[in-house]
Amino acid sequence: MTHTPRRLALLALVVVAAGALSVSFGASGLGPADLWRFFLGEADPTTRSILLQLRLPRAALAALVGGALGLCGCTFQALLRNPLAEPYVLGVSGGAAVGAVAVVVTGIGLRLPWSLPLGAFAGALAAMALVLAVARRASPGRMDTRVLILSGVIIGAFFNAVILLLLSIADVESFRSAIFWMMGNLSGADWGSTGLLALLLVPAALAVFSLARAFNVLSRGEEVAFYLGASVQRVKLTAYLAASLMVAAAVAAGGVIGFVGLIVPHAVRLAWGNDHRLLLPASFLAGTAFLLLADTVARLVLAPAELPTGVVTAVAGVPFFVALLLRGGRR
Amino acid sequence: MRGTAASRDWRPVLEGRDLSFIHPRADEPAVCRVSLSVSPGRLLAVVGPNGAGKTTLLKLLSGSLTPQDGGVTLDDRALSDLGDRERALAIAVVPQSESSPFPVTVREMVGMGRYAHLGPWERSGDRDRAVVDDAMARCAVAEFAERHLGELSGGERQRARIARALAQEAPVLLLDEPTAGLDLRYRMELFHLLRELRAAGLGVLVITHDLNLAARFADRLLLLDRGRARARGTPDGMLSRESLEAVYDWPLRVVPHPGPGSDTGAPQTVPLRRDDP
Repeated sequence: MTHTPRRLALLALVVVAAGALSVSFGASGLGPADLWRFFLGEADPTTRSILLQLRLPRAALAALVGGALGLCGCTFQALLRNPLAEPYVLGVSGGAAVGAVAVVVTGIGLRLPWSLPLGAFAGALAAMALVLAVARRASPGRMDTRVLILSGVIIGAFFNAVILLLLSIADVESFRSAIFWMMGNLSGADWGSTGLLALLLVPAALAVFSLARAFNVLSRGEEVAFYLGASVQRVKLTAYLAASLMVAAAVAAGGVIGFVGLIVPHAVRLAWGNDHRLLLPASFLAGTAFLLLADTVARLVLAPAELPTGVVTAVAGVPFFVALLLRGGRR
Repeated sequence: MRGTAASRDWRPVLEGRDLSFIHPRADEPAVCRVSLSVSPGRLLAVVGPNGAGKTTLLKLLSGSLTPQDGGVTLDDRALSDLGDRERALAIAVVPQSESSPFPVTVREMVGMGRYAHLGPWERSGDRDRAVVDDAMARCAVAEFAERHLGELSGGERQRARIARALAQEAPVLLLDEPTAGLDLRYRMELFHLLRELRAAGLGVLVITHDLNLAARFADRLLLLDRGRARARGTPDGMLSRESLEAVYDWPLRVVPHPGPGSDTGAPQTVPLRRDDP
């Protein structure tokens, strides 16, 4: 616990460095020197507008989505007492994808500017409400963890079938853009979507941070947590609602970006242990840094074309995680 | 909510009256019309065969289960009227077993005992750390403070769990088979610790299969059999060959503890071999 402030400060530095890197490089060929001139107020109008309208909002969105996914992964792992849980485990991504794909396939997405993220958000919320309703109905008064996982997996599978159904009736162009959205990318970033995400994220993240000690006792089992004074049902419901809201917002803004929520909390666990007072904020910051870097790579590898960010997180994240596991196993 | 000096002298009586509980889909009640009280400065041992309802009784007393009949009170208040944290400040429980997918260190584990003393945004202070250090020292786990629970022996883990309950600083302590997995020395150490806590004014209830240590250390015993209180009283009065043979369905003798020591003469149960004449 005494290391907490120092470790979080270290991570915050990494986030700042990743942010600077992300803003410094891009398809337009502006480099770190231009960024420096921008900060000194000496940049020309084109540089200013590229940085202010494109790179900064994109970096901010990557940071928020990455942080949200890292924090949610950690929260779902604590809630379900399962180290393999990730933000999408409870069908939230499936619901979001149904919403987004429906908007794309029906052509609404071309006519109304905000309809795709809104559709994704509505789908995610609907999925979450459905999973929660089933779990509470099947295990009255106690929201059984196994029932929650099962209903999440089943409802997720149903949504996947609905997505395939929608895609099979879609024309080529909307098929392509729907698939691209599902692979996760942040190219739609602007200050509006970033600001909205931040607005949802802040209260939900604060609610989760306030549960850090409750997650610690909950990790010893619900009976032990009860004896230690935790209001188990209230903690579980709060965590579920706050985390699902964050995932819904993150998916709406950035599509389905996998692996961040699974890998980031695990990396922090392996390095610094399982005290949620450190683990939760550290997962947020590490998720932020990880997605900033992944998105930078996604923009650069095929420049001026872009890779979906979700592809980069998976391709880069998996070997990194395997290396961590092997190192942890030897310890 | 912070434990004040005044509340640390609070010595409530935890009392269960006519407690009955039937598990869902069970035919027979697990606990049937059992009354008992855990009083300050007293050590009560609950004994009885497997499946007698000892653990269910503990869960009823701790609020983890709600009795279908009868009620539990803490001094004059119904246990169900207490908030979760308020209850944890009054009653600490060491359940039979627990597991976690996330490894923690002994210090983190014992620190969890402070949960009810701290608000959600409150950081643990010097007093919390002192209480945790003291609890670890009393349970002889201070030397492993920074090790992970998974690296410890079963007995060491068990002592860490008891230390966590002590860090709760609750005036009532309920333990479910705390000596399971402990070797001879630590079984003795544990019962001595329970005696110390009793002398400090705590009300202690311990579920145990060790009739002999229960007879030497407890003030009173409660013998449960198929959910019912079969016998109760001081060890001398209650541990008779007849009642034990009937409850355990096994031939045995009850002999006085040969001494030396202040507990010389305490009734000791010796089960006989089946093939002995």
